[in-house]
Amino acid sequence: MQTGTNPPRSVRLCNLMVGIAARLVPTNQRAEFQREWLAEIWHRWQFLAFAGFWNNREALGLFRTCLGVFPDAIWHFALQDPVREKVRSWTRSPWTCLGAFGAVLLLIAVISGGFPATRQVLLSSSASANQRLVFIWFHPNVGGPDKELPSDVPAAWRSQSKLLESVAGFHVSRLYASATGSSVHPKVIETEAALFKVLGTAPALGSIPSDQGAILTARTWKSAFHSDPEILRKEIRIGKDYYHIRAVLPSGFDFLTRQPSVFLVSGWLPERVDVVARSRPGVTEPQLDRELVRISEDAVYYFFRSQLRMSWLEDALWTPVRLFTIAVCASAFLCLWAAKVRPRQIRSACHPMNRKPAMRRALFFSSKVALALVVAFVAGLEWARSPSAILLASRDPASGPFLLWLYILAAMGIFFWAVADQRARCRVCLRLLCFPVRIGCPGCLLLDWSGTELLCTEGHGVLHVPHMSASWEEESQRWISLDESWKDLFIASE
Amino acid sequence: MTGLAKLSHTAAMILQTVSNGCNYGFDIMDATGLPSGTVYPALRRMETEGWISSEWEPERKANAEQRPARKYYRITETGAEVLGASQQRYPLLGKLAAAKTRR
Repeated sequence: MQTGTNPPRSVRLCNLMVGIAARLVPTNQRAEFQREWLAEIWHRWQFLAFAGFWNNREALGLFRTCLGVFPDAIWHFALQDPVREKVRSWTRSPWTCLGAFGAVLLLIAVISGGFPATRQVLLSSSASANQRLVFIWFHPNVGGPDKELPSDVPAAWRSQSKLLESVAGFHVSRLYASATGSSVHPKVIETEAALFKVLGTAPALGSIPSDQGAILTARTWKSAFHSDPEILRKEIRIGKDYYHIRAVLPSGFDFLTRQPSVFLVSGWLPERVDVVARSRPGVTEPQLDRELVRISEDAVYYFFRSQLRMSWLEDALWTPVRLFTIAVCASAFLCLWAAKVRPRQIRSACHPMNRKPAMRRALFFSSKVALALVVAFVAGLEWARSPSAILLASRDPASGPFLLWLYILAAMGIFFWAVADQRARCRVCLRLLCFPVRIGCPGCLLLDWSGTELLCTEGHGVLHVPHMSASWEEESQRWISLDESWKDLFIASE
Repeated sequence: MTGLAKLSHTAAMILQTVSNGCNYGFDIMDATGLPSGTVYPALRRMETEGWISSEWEPERKANAEQRPARKYYRITETGAEVLGASQQRYPLLGKLAAAKTRR
């Protein structure tokens, strides 16, 4: 054996990692921990060196293996009583509850890339470019999913309508797009040059082609082409064909929540299309519906009145906010009714003696509910569009029916959870109660009380939760505050 | 068997490997193919539960061979019972671990 030889750099690095990780291990176990790992590393190195297999690959393998020293050290660290106690106390803290919602919000921001759909709803709904923009699609009279319109119809509307300033058709397809060495998110919008006139958007780079070409969004230009200034000389493959890249759209441009990567302008439209148009000022939905149906019938497309669906963008963008407000108000009312908040309880909370803790409780409750509602609102806006389109075949430009159900369920869930969580917390320090103890016998309900008692670890009080609530009792749960005389008991137990 | 703890497949595999005679950390890793970050914490937990015991090899023997002493793990009687229950739950475990150990 080669005990005398100097270990190579990789082995020394592994030994150093063991030394660093050992700092986490409690002092009384540290020496043994280090000794075990160092012995294993030594034996592995010596075995391979003796057999003549020691090389860079094995050294890297040993280094990777030694990374496991950290989970091992963390395991030792987390098993210490003070650490476990701290973790337990941390999980019960009201700040952890609020922090968790903050973390979820941060996670959504990271995954969605900075809340693009939310920003669009809240910031661009009043933008002048969105004014009088109307989306039109087709809905079967006897139910079933939304459909696109025949592509001849927008052409007829464009030439004959007196109520529309401009009209364009588009079709969202999932064609695979790739450029030299980089693949692009496969969401392509096949459209005509008129679309950008309708939307009132001018490209940041190049010009909108009148014949054929691909137009990139700023996000695709940055991510797939690294903001290449020579982009207009390049080609992109969409499906089986190659197209010249003719323009790049400005970075602030969003095509609703659809977030395409490429717009493909060609001389012809697919057989079925959605329609986006800009109406003249003061045009109402019945007027527009009458005119568009008449023009369609002249072009030999016969619709029943209910078959055309229209959605003004300004209105559609505010729909999620309205839905959310209704869902929150309805859930709050239902929850307060179900929680049986009595006037006596409100009077008791307003008493000067109880005012401060009651204020703190109310503040915590409202912060918790507000944060959870913000999370639900943002998550719904960011991700409800796709399920609406995929599961319910909705062509609604902004949100779709899935969002309504999501908001109703989320708001109900949040309010009921918030009340249950509030009741499971100490009335003074707002920490979660613990050490549940069952008391009494459920069979002796008429003679004695039976239920569960929960305790505040800080010694502020005890919560009695009955197994069965009697109809004559106003409150099912009872909080008993413990005065200063109990303090010694809790200090001793710590 | 009702009183015995239910092991995850990974934990059962490690216990099986220890039972098959792989008695130090890196050897168990080689036999199971699991990373050290899984094997060592699992060994610590099993030792705490009393399913395996550990023992340092005699210092004198290691010194004579001019190498550091190693820590060896061995399955206990309780561990063997828990492993028996796990083998009923994961019937292929015995075969798999035996094959890996042979290799």
